[in-house]
Amino acid sequence: MAETKTIALTINGRDRKVAAPANATLLETLRELGYFEVKSGCEKGDCGACAVLVDGEAIDSCLALTWTVAGRAVTTVAGLSLGGAKHPLIEAFEKSGAVQCGYCTPGLIVAAQSMLKDTPEPDDDDIRLGLSGNLCRCTGYTKVFDAVRDAAAVLRGAESQA
Amino acid sequence: MTGAPQDWTRAPNVNLRQVGKPLVRTDVPGKAQGRTRFAGDHVMPNMLHAKVLRAPKASARLTRLDAAKARALEGVVCVLTAADLADRRAATDIPGQTGRKRLATDQQILVRERVRYHGEPLALIAAETLALAERAADLIEYDLEPLPGVFDPVEALKPGAPIVQGTDNVVATYKVRKGDLEAGFAEAERVVENTFRTQFVEHAFLEPEVGLAWVDENEVINIRVSTQVIEHFRAIADALGVAHNQVRILGSMVGGGFGGKEDVTVEIYLALLAQATGRPVRLAYTREDSFFGHGKRHPFVITHRTGVTQDGRITAVQITMTADAGAYVFLSPYVLLYAVVAGPGPYRIDNVHIDARAVATNNMYTSAFRGFGAAQACVAHEQQMDEIAKELGLDRLELRRRNFLRTGDEIATGYAIESAVWSDDCMTKAWAALGERAPEDGPVKIGRGVATYQQSYGRITWLHDTSEAWVGVEIDATVVVRSGVTDIGAGQVSALAQIAAELLGVSLGEVTVYNSDSATTPLAGTTTATRALYMTGNAVHLAAEALRGRLIGRAAEEFGVAPSEVDLAESRAFVIDAPDKSMALKDLVGICASEGIHRSELAMFRAPFTGEIDPETGQGRVHPDYAFGAHAVEVAVDTETGEVTVLKSVGAHDVGQAINPAAVAGQIEGGAAQGQGYALSEAMIYRDGELMTPSFSEYLIPTAMDMPRVQSIILESRSGLGPFGAKGIGEPALTPVAPAIANAVADAIGRRVFELPITPERIVMALREAEPRKGPR
Amino acid sequence: MYADFDLVIPETLDEALEALAGAVGGGNGGTQPLAGGTNMIVDLRARRVAPSRLVGLGRLDGLRGIRIADGRVRMGARTTMSDILRHPDLAGHAPSLVDQARVFGGQMVRNAATVAGNICSGSPAADAVPALLALDAEVTLASPSGTRVVPLSEFFLGYKRDARAPGELMTEIAWDIPPAHSSNRFYKLALRKGDAITVVGVAVALAAEDGKCGTARIALGAVAPIVKRATAAEAMLCGQALTPELIDAAARQAVDDVDPIDDIRASAEYRRHCVHALTRRLVTQAWERLT
Repeated sequence: MAETKTIALTINGRDRKVAAPANATLLETLRELGYFEVKSGCEKGDCGACAVLVDGEAIDSCLALTWTVAGRAVTTVAGLSLGGAKHPLIEAFEKSGAVQCGYCTPGLIVAAQSMLKDTPEPDDDDIRLGLSGNLCRCTGYTKVFDAVRDAAAVLRGAESQA
Repeated sequence: MTGAPQDWTRAPNVNLRQVGKPLVRTDVPGKAQGRTRFAGDHVMPNMLHAKVLRAPKASARLTRLDAAKARALEGVVCVLTAADLADRRAATDIPGQTGRKRLATDQQILVRERVRYHGEPLALIAAETLALAERAADLIEYDLEPLPGVFDPVEALKPGAPIVQGTDNVVATYKVRKGDLEAGFAEAERVVENTFRTQFVEHAFLEPEVGLAWVDENEVINIRVSTQVIEHFRAIADALGVAHNQVRILGSMVGGGFGGKEDVTVEIYLALLAQATGRPVRLAYTREDSFFGHGKRHPFVITHRTGVTQDGRITAVQITMTADAGAYVFLSPYVLLYAVVAGPGPYRIDNVHIDARAVATNNMYTSAFRGFGAAQACVAHEQQMDEIAKELGLDRLELRRRNFLRTGDEIATGYAIESAVWSDDCMTKAWAALGERAPEDGPVKIGRGVATYQQSYGRITWLHDTSEAWVGVEIDATVVVRSGVTDIGAGQVSALAQIAAELLGVSLGEVTVYNSDSATTPLAGTTTATRALYMTGNAVHLAAEALRGRLIGRAAEEFGVAPSEVDLAESRAFVIDAPDKSMALKDLVGICASEGIHRSELAMFRAPFTGEIDPETGQGRVHPDYAFGAHAVEVAVDTETGEVTVLKSVGAHDVGQAINPAAVAGQIEGGAAQGQGYALSEAMIYRDGELMTPSFSEYLIPTAMDMPRVQSIILESRSGLGPFGAKGIGEPALTPVAPAIANAVADAIGRRVFELPITPERIVMALREAEPRKGPR
Repeated sequence: MYADFDLVIPETLDEALEALAGAVGGGNGGTQPLAGGTNMIVDLRARRVAPSRLVGLGRLDGLRGIRIADGRVRMGARTTMSDILRHPDLAGHAPSLVDQARVFGGQMVRNAATVAGNICSGSPAADAVPALLALDAEVTLASPSGTRVVPLSEFFLGYKRDARAPGELMTEIAWDIPPAHSSNRFYKLALRKGDAITVVGVAVALAAEDGKCGTARIALGAVAPIVKRATAAEAMLCGQALTPELIDAAARQAVDDVDPIDDIRASAEYRRHCVHALTRRLVTQAWERLT
């Protein structure tokens, strides 16, 4: 049996001590802790449903062993809106109709957030590139492109006011 | 532009306040914020984890199965094999609502002796942890003696072929004999014959099958599961040998279905394990399990022989279809029927002759998938139309125009269409929306294609389909809808809320829908067959309208006017011509409550009921109605490498009435992507029945990088049988996409690839052939 | 996850080398380095490998980053594909490497997958390798007893076999900045535009001297047991003024330099066809940039 140890993680802004075996993936650990918004879709990095931010950068949580992210900040879609206001990406996904079955949505939003950090003013091809690791079977991505562009504009506005 | 209704003149609805608006669907905020609990997001104390052990061969005899070591592993609570299941069998027939006798499709739940497909379940395991369940699976010993298999439906029909089902592997046949074929061909000036092939396709919903089952204090087996069909509680109870009221299905928001969660998936395994252990059991398929664990889209081989006059009038068509049913029957007979009904396409053809059969093989079984046979039929008939146009030197759109069905015309099965047929309008608009043609660049050639379709909505009329819904108004004037409907991501629940809000004069936010629980919500029937809005929308409409009548009646009394003078809007009742005469809905409901006026209504909607079609001629009514529309695309083809880029993709569909235009556009966009994958990149490859593509790195659905922005054009004839004249869009959105792309590729390169998917390699090979390629005869 | 192993996460390179010392290559039972995990975790889950111990490299920040100085690009082994995309200067002189990073998996994989991990995966379809081969990259291998530098062209010994001694860890990938009159290109042919396994990958690097082709590199992925250079084709171009006829002949020669297989993605015949078409196209494009 793999060794279990307790590691420190900051999850959605909250510092937590988490007991995890050596062979636990971050996906397994997060869902074990009740972060059910992190979805399992393929467990091999093909679909992006399990994407979370680690120190602001999106990764597939199914491909990260929990111990390897010790001490780092993990953010799920539910942690994006901390501080009360709904995150502009979430708002835009809702308003644009970019959500259908919704299973891929948390991963898409997380990946979009990570992509916008590098590319704050994306065109459609930037968005395609940023989201090519997130499979969606319902939307055909058209409204996802709309949502990410709308959110990017809102985020740039917030940035310039700050 | 051909303009508005061709043959349809019903006045549009007036004064819609909620319906027809692109509102944010009620289910969306929870999903976007990560609050929505899917079926896999529920756990229970003391819960066990289950695993299915699957056969690694496609055709074999199980000569030994020994689970002793697995059972002895500490933490393994239960291992079930066929030996533990006595005479238990499971039905695979379409879920009925009438108790009518099913087709003889019952199959083994676990392999007893004969393995018929790669991945057929051998054993079920329940353990304290998933890791233990996986270890236990490794410890189960078994011997499989290979048996000769048959992996091609044509081979399966030959004398001496291994028998997989029945006596001759034929699991269904249908035929159409309409008009006089010989006379039709005699009238023809040209005869065009081609054969088209399609592949096995996977639904690839993002949420793999998952469920959680427990036995409650009343001995009722509760199963919370991701399904399109909560009515499967009956089939599950039958398989377990318990009464129908001893199984409860609780749905959740479904993470994609597309027909792949239309059959029973994990339910029976969960129920058996929960029953055997007395503990809650969770079974979550891995992606690989999912690739093995549900039926695929049928591969078809379809030959069209079409007689046509020089000016492009089709005088006769003879069609043969062979579908690969795989190892078990499931919905093959119905898929085949849909293919037959849609066989000739949305064209008026007086002389039609169709022979179709579905044949068992040792490939994965095939069953429901968005488009349900009509999609495969469309792949053939729309490519054939382009080939005919080429043969005649006629414009492809013009050829279609000269043959389109009109309202009142009979389709292949002799049923005369009663609703609007706006095929021409849709096609013309979709084509125009392609705009300016992209320039060609060296080896990169540009091509365009269009396809039209005839797709049913609603179930087969001899299934006597019904749907029930309950609508009530709370004392604070908020509205509750109870409906068993499952929401598979298209906004099925939100549409019901929008209909109730419209009729009861409240906003969408004031409606709560409780859905998808066989114990507490009235049974709505399945979310399949593009029927949820049509059937359950109508049921909600009936219930809400009855309630509206009572509320308006009481308000009219209060206002001293006739009920026809009163309307409900913005949570108020008011006199239409004197809006200052009004009262809050809450006050009106309060009066009703104190006077004992019934504030709720349970309604049933019934589709048209018929008997079966004539087995010799295939004539008769099969479906309530049909939807019509078109998809057009522009592609770039690299003639050196065969790579295809879809540059523009436009769907134009007459949806009757869009309840939520944003949701309708979402269906069109999603259908465009799924159809594009069908055309270009998706194939479940089985070699001697063994699956070669059990993951998303081998089975390639379109990514964001593969998709153009899809343009949606929504036409509204208000001629459908659904609420407010709605038709349906779930399946129609997909059906014409693949043939439109096939036609565009052929347009670009001047050669046709007669088999899906149109891979780069097939394009290169088609271009290499010195002579223009003909379809295999 | 079902796989059972120990995991150590060293804080320094020395600790890592110590932990890896004596590690057996090939994966089963031994000790294996773990970088981005985008191959390793998949292989573990599929039971293609079963190491008893993994050495996580995630804390070795010194192994991550791109430094350009003195005419040389030095890339830490843990540099990710996203790091390559973000770098402001790489697109200027190594567009082939940047282009492969764009089509390398999806964003999350690019954020995690490392250059050394891609090289050491041994996959003939590893996308970073053709570009790096065409750039004449060298790799540094370290062990407790010291370091050595191996040309990437000598690193691959056969299918999933490479020059690492047991316990050796790749720490750096480096190459000289290409000369002024040079051009490099990469193209990945796959069955889907986003996040797909390569059917044929082609990288080309040319340098011009006095209107002629000085050096030529053609590296081909997914068409042989290892990513390999089409050296005979390269030789046909060196010292010549490139004409369409010569380029076509070299591209045909490249077909003879490879040994593709049939698999579910494509036939060997189609792969050969594309080696010809893409080599011709990329050499033509690279040459056009130089003339």
